[in-house]
Amino acid sequence: MITVNNLQKSFGKNEVLRGIDTEIQKGEVVVVIGPSGSGKSTFLRCMNRLEEVTGGEILFEGKSITDKKHNIDKTREKMGMVFQQFNLFPHKTVLENITLAPTKLQNVSTKDANVHAESLLQSVGLADKKNAYPAQLSGGQKQRIAIVRALAMRPHVMLFDEPTSALDPEMVGEVLDVMKKLAEDGMTMVIVTHEMGFAREVGDRIIFMDGGVIVEEGTPEEVFGAPKHERTRDFLSKVL
Amino acid sequence: MLKVKRLIPMLMALLILMLALYPGHGQASTQSASGTSEEKTIKVGLSPDFAPYEFLMTVDGKSKVVGSDVMIAEEIAKDMGVTLVIEQMSFDSLIPALQSGRIDMIISGMTPTDERRQNVDFSDLYYTSRQVILTRAADVDKYKTMDALDGEQIGVQTGSIQEEIANGIPNAQVTAVKTISDVVSLLTSDRVNAAVFEGPVAESQVKNRPGLAIAEAVPEDSDTPMAIAVQKGNTELVNEINVTLERLRATDAVDGFIQQANELSSGDTAPSNIFSFFWKYRGFYADGVQYTLLLSALGVLFGFIIGLIVAIARLSGVKILKWIAVAYIEVLRGTPMLVQLLIIHFGLASAFDIKFTVLQSGILTLSLNSSAYLAEIFRAGIQNVDKGQMEAARSLGMPRGMALRTIIIPQAIKGVLPAIGNEFVVIIKESSIVSFIGVADLMFQANAVRTLTYSGLYPLVIAAGIYLVMTLILSQLLNLLERRLSAGDNR
Repeated sequence: MITVNNLQKSFGKNEVLRGIDTEIQKGEVVVVIGPSGSGKSTFLRCMNRLEEVTGGEILFEGKSITDKKHNIDKTREKMGMVFQQFNLFPHKTVLENITLAPTKLQNVSTKDANVHAESLLQSVGLADKKNAYPAQLSGGQKQRIAIVRALAMRPHVMLFDEPTSALDPEMVGEVLDVMKKLAEDGMTMVIVTHEMGFAREVGDRIIFMDGGVIVEEGTPEEVFGAPKHERTRDFLSKVL
Repeated sequence: MLKVKRLIPMLMALLILMLALYPGHGQASTQSASGTSEEKTIKVGLSPDFAPYEFLMTVDGKSKVVGSDVMIAEEIAKDMGVTLVIEQMSFDSLIPALQSGRIDMIISGMTPTDERRQNVDFSDLYYTSRQVILTRAADVDKYKTMDALDGEQIGVQTGSIQEEIANGIPNAQVTAVKTISDVVSLLTSDRVNAAVFEGPVAESQVKNRPGLAIAEAVPEDSDTPMAIAVQKGNTELVNEINVTLERLRATDAVDGFIQQANELSSGDTAPSNIFSFFWKYRGFYADGVQYTLLLSALGVLFGFIIGLIVAIARLSGVKILKWIAVAYIEVLRGTPMLVQLLIIHFGLASAFDIKFTVLQSGILTLSLNSSAYLAEIFRAGIQNVDKGQMEAARSLGMPRGMALRTIIIPQAIKGVLPAIGNEFVVIIKESSIVSFIGVADLMFQANAVRTLTYSGLYPLVIAAGIYLVMTLILSQLLNLLERRLSAGDNR
């Protein structure tokens, strides 16, 4: 579904990604782990071009999205993204947050969008919050709404950029539960996270990044159980 | 919940309604006999604060320009078989207005000096008046000769022949102000001790205001002839005017006009209580408020739209757009609004033949000027919105423009609402400068009442009160809007 060829990204002279090659299959849950500054968030943000790449190529469903002529807005509709800081629209109600993009971009009627939104809210246990404003919600609730907002566009893949890092510990579980359910339903997902337990349990494949390259990848059993690389072992010994 | 989105069409509808209710010309200072548009007209410009030559009177609660010059203008129009249209403006705007073709002739007690002859052509003389020295009655004995004025503080009207005479008095400290009523105020408030006046004008002032007197001193070479000015090279019109003047001269009609006008000018007595004063002249203020509101509303609306566009250009990645926006903001913020107004109204007309009506010029100036300030306010607001908001909107597939419109700008505006409100209040107040080019706004009408009543204080205090009421109402409305917009903040 997503093919990444020799992806490079620099901020000025600072080389953050130095040639990433990988492929994400339909229905696969890929978890990207690694120390701070390893480039894992940048890698994720390059996939929907929130960061412009400096070199290499990304193919999404067979088409190059790094091509300058490519209309990235259309592709982004198919790639949901969830941010560390939730980024809900504070001036809109929960329902408006969710229905805004489908009604404006996909010609979905307000009625249909509302019905879809309410069923999604139901599935994350927040049906009663549809008329609340983001400021009235807890962090965990906000992040669940943010996931619903992305899902409302019926994306083909979901990108998660450290979705639990800004949460109080007692709220991490409710967000991870939603993500786990999503994975079970067969959603293609790329997740950058520090939640190693979750990575191990839900991930089909683990990518360990350090210094702007993929150091090691494999099934959770391979990476967590028998890390081949010194740097992977070093990292895991610190976080586990 | 009432939303901004729904407020905008409501405002637009209100504005259109207001525009529809306005007289077609969009120019309050125009007085014309009712007639079809096919009828030929002649536009005469004058500065109606020069009783008995031209001044304002209340007729049925409405102000009307009257005076001997108006009577002469009527005779000329009658002989030419056209309808007379009177355009009021300040004396020093008359020649620029004539040069730019906004008016056809000036009959405003104007003396054909050599300097003026370089810019306009004059008819034959129609009247010659003498100049006198007006002082406070208590000081009248001090100024028996012109020598007594040596080194004295003297008040005159800007751009007038009296200013030249005053400048010729040795060591005189001359204070020049815009209107005759301002000159009188200088005198009554002891800021100057004497003023150079046209004889009949001084007599009319003395008659209407206690405490003034004409001194014995008479300026040398004080005979000041008056003639009618037309655009340079318009000999055809000069000839037609001269025919009428010849006819009037044969019967000494002008002297009669002046006498008639003098009698008219002493008719109006202003109430001494500010409330009855206001009530008597409420028609003037009501007219003025309409224009002030129209100007401010349109200035705010267009300033808002232009300001938003400029702010977005300023923040766009395109270098050239950014540069243009920066230059636009700096030029408009770094130059006085009055200069901008005069360039738009007179400058463009004489250089490029772009003739806006006074109302258009006023709206344009206010819009452009406020847009520069609003652009900077918006920029600050947009920059204060969290970067994640744009990323979230873009990640959902929204193009940049839509993300700005639906996500960023509403939050940006909410954040800077107090600053925007401030700017709106400023626009209401600053709109008063359009009176300079003759838009009959609140300030203009306040000046008209001053001229009419010879009262220096009440007309201005009333105007200030009305401005205050307008700005207070606006702040309250903005507070309300602010509360509505902060619906998402309560927790």
